[in-house]
Amino acid sequence: MNLLPFLVAGLVIGSVYALSGVGVLVLYRTTGVLNFAHGAIGALAAMLLWQLVPTQGRLQPAIGIAVCILIAAAAALLFGLLAGPYLARIDELRKAIATLGFALVIIGVLLFTWNDKARTLRLDTSSIAINVGGSRVNLTQIICLLLAVLVVVATVLAFRYTSIGMSMRALASDRELASVVGTNVRLVENVAWALSGAIAGASGILLANQTRLEPAFLTFLIIPELAAVVIGRFSSLWLTLVGGLVIGVLQTLASAWEPITAYATIVPFLIATVVILIGRRRVLTIGVVRS
Amino acid sequence: MSRLVIDRVTVRYGGVTPLDAVSLEFEDGVCGIIGPNGAGKTTTFNVLSGFAIPAEGSVHIDGESLLAVPRHRRARWGLRRSFQQEQVIRSLTVRENLLLAAENSGATRASVDAALDYVGLDGRDRLGSDLTILERRLVEIARCVVGEPRLVLLDEPAAGLDPAESEMLLGVITGIPATTGALVLLVDHDMDLVRAACATVAVLDFGRRIAAGSTAEVLTSPDVRKAYLGIEEEKA
Amino acid sequence: MISFLARRNTRVGAIGLLVGLALAVVIPFLPGIGQGSGLFALTACAIYSLAALAAGILYGRLGLVSLMQIALVAVGGWVTLRLYYATDLPFELVAVAAAVVTALIGTLLSLPALKLSGLSLAIVTLMIAGGIQVVITATGFPNGGTGFLGRLPAGTVPDTMPRPTWGASDDAYFRYVAVVVAVVFLAVWWLLSSRVGRAWAAIRQGEAGAITLGIPVTRYRILALLITSFITGLSGALLAANTGVLDSTGTTFSAQQSVLLFATVLIGGTFSLSGAVIGGIFFYGVPVLLQAWGVSGDLVFIILGLGTIQAITTNPIGIAGSVAALARRWRTPRRASRAREVTA
Repeated sequence: MNLLPFLVAGLVIGSVYALSGVGVLVLYRTTGVLNFAHGAIGALAAMLLWQLVPTQGRLQPAIGIAVCILIAAAAALLFGLLAGPYLARIDELRKAIATLGFALVIIGVLLFTWNDKARTLRLDTSSIAINVGGSRVNLTQIICLLLAVLVVVATVLAFRYTSIGMSMRALASDRELASVVGTNVRLVENVAWALSGAIAGASGILLANQTRLEPAFLTFLIIPELAAVVIGRFSSLWLTLVGGLVIGVLQTLASAWEPITAYATIVPFLIATVVILIGRRRVLTIGVVRS
Repeated sequence: MSRLVIDRVTVRYGGVTPLDAVSLEFEDGVCGIIGPNGAGKTTTFNVLSGFAIPAEGSVHIDGESLLAVPRHRRARWGLRRSFQQEQVIRSLTVRENLLLAAENSGATRASVDAALDYVGLDGRDRLGSDLTILERRLVEIARCVVGEPRLVLLDEPAAGLDPAESEMLLGVITGIPATTGALVLLVDHDMDLVRAACATVAVLDFGRRIAAGSTAEVLTSPDVRKAYLGIEEEKA
Repeated sequence: MISFLARRNTRVGAIGLLVGLALAVVIPFLPGIGQGSGLFALTACAIYSLAALAAGILYGRLGLVSLMQIALVAVGGWVTLRLYYATDLPFELVAVAAAVVTALIGTLLSLPALKLSGLSLAIVTLMIAGGIQVVITATGFPNGGTGFLGRLPAGTVPDTMPRPTWGASDDAYFRYVAVVVAVVFLAVWWLLSSRVGRAWAAIRQGEAGAITLGIPVTRYRILALLITSFITGLSGALLAANTGVLDSTGTTFSAQQSVLLFATVLIGGTFSLSGAVIGGIFFYGVPVLLQAWGVSGDLVFIILGLGTIQAITTNPIGIAGSVAALARRWRTPRRASRAREVTA
């Protein structure tokens, strides 16, 4: 059987997982918040896009997409602004649970406004296609692949050469020290929320297009997205990219193998669980070490 | 009576050396460990209670190696420790807080009441959340004397108390060796407390021992004053 | 023992238990809510309160976030049905066996993550919930067929597992469930007052302090996992017997539901047993109620989401805890506190 189409499809979906994972990672490293609502924000953007650009659209598709990504960024930023002071005082686990609450709110709003019927999100770029080794790859899919790499490269460069990027790294490595040195912590955090929200919006739209437009389904794609972050050891952008790709490819290849097609979607969970378990060493924080 | 020998213990974390070939000897009664912040006092306690593994050195009590006892068995062995941060569980009663200590160190339930009698706490069915801060500190001391303790480590046991309350706690602390036979080590920044409670004291700074001996001598030594106050005696 | 019985907590608990049992007897006689779908919903609420209890113990007493409780309910239901069709044993035996299997599975799956941070455990349990969702959707629940999966060919009318002998009718089954729930709550309550509960409280307070006291922390955590997974498996068994057949096609056993359960438990109050009851009612009952009143059930998500954010950032004791605190303040006059809390 020709596995190439599956490989390509796997790389495509994997690159969106990776893109999403990068968004989660940037926010996590800057603020300590592991955003479980990342998928939900994506779902929000996707549903809005579907609403704004139905068929021949009142809005130019490109503008529509830009608007929805902006709204996603704004939603994330809003949460960061409102919840930020409270989140700062609690530990990582509770920060993450708070975002779980945020995800529930978003799902509720989405389900209430639109019901949970499965819809399709069509993107114009999908109509342009090229031939790669016998399988058809459309422009949207190419965008998925390129966008992921582009965002990772841009982020790595930003971290190294822009002042806000360096501030984010400072916050990631030692919060207290960063604020003492004069980093405007709140500003940097807010930028991280907005950026992460924008990435969530973009990946949400792409995922809705590549899989299906269904609020709850898209929200819980946070699970494979987190899997990419796990493989990236919660710290490396490149590893997150690779992780996302690996998950996408393995999952799609698994779905090509007849006996386990129905179980293919378990791949992200399996990989992530295994990686988490053989990976991090826990540090026993005893609160008595600093004297 | 007990004799604790810490012999050239070194602890390293990454690039930091909180304890550098420190040798200390303590014998009988209440002994103090003092020093500026970051001197290694809490690290010493961490070594004794098993939270820090020394890269070098040994610790012996009456000839027995303490480091050979696995961390989770040290309570049963006779180690007791109080922390700077309050450890009383608010949702449990006084008695239940004590039972916790007794059950997990092999002490009998009768010793719970004995320990509470010793520190002088009544109303043993009150919840931790209904106690005053002095009473909570007393519960922590009671936890340290339950059963048959051999080595009691007290880390700023009077934190949060006013002078009158500290005075009360002092009496309880100084009576521990006589009542239980245990050796008590006290870490504190309150010099009045240290002077009143401890017959001998050791001073640490930057992970090294800079003085040890009788409290009166040590507290007037110029090296110690320099370490604490950072002034040269010549300029004084 | 005497002092245990004399405590105010015990008296309150005993009253709660009696009230609960009285309600269990009376409710099926009530018109409206005690009939048909109303009774069915109440039965489900009672069953889910067990799952809520399990999640509540893990978070409230040990600080462990487990986002896979509903997935374990599914496991309990699956094993129950499979064992019934394989052995034809009475429900009680099958249910206990299913609970034991669920206890082992739940513990084994969580065990490796115990050594990691709390956040890692949350992530791992969410992953497992997602994984089990995929598997259960693909395999379905046993419905009388042969083979490991116990599925009949598509198109055949599925078998159903009959109700237990003492809970055959809807009324009787409601009371049966109520009794089981009461027994489990009693057992848990006793456990929490015993040395196990004390050790758990110490672990929640701080691992270092617990280790210093000599508490074998990992062993007590494993015990917590075994007990809570057992209880969850039991709720799966009761769920299976309620309808005789379980359906994996909808969202009933999805990862989403596990998250929702955790949210309801968090809001209802993880520290007290009544919080679990509130959790169960909220989890199953409120969406049903809203739908009955013509309001969209989706509002529940919003309520739970906001409640979660509020609960986790500000109010750790939940609704049940707040009510209890209010009651206590109303009963005991405030003493002038003599100590000044000086931060060192």
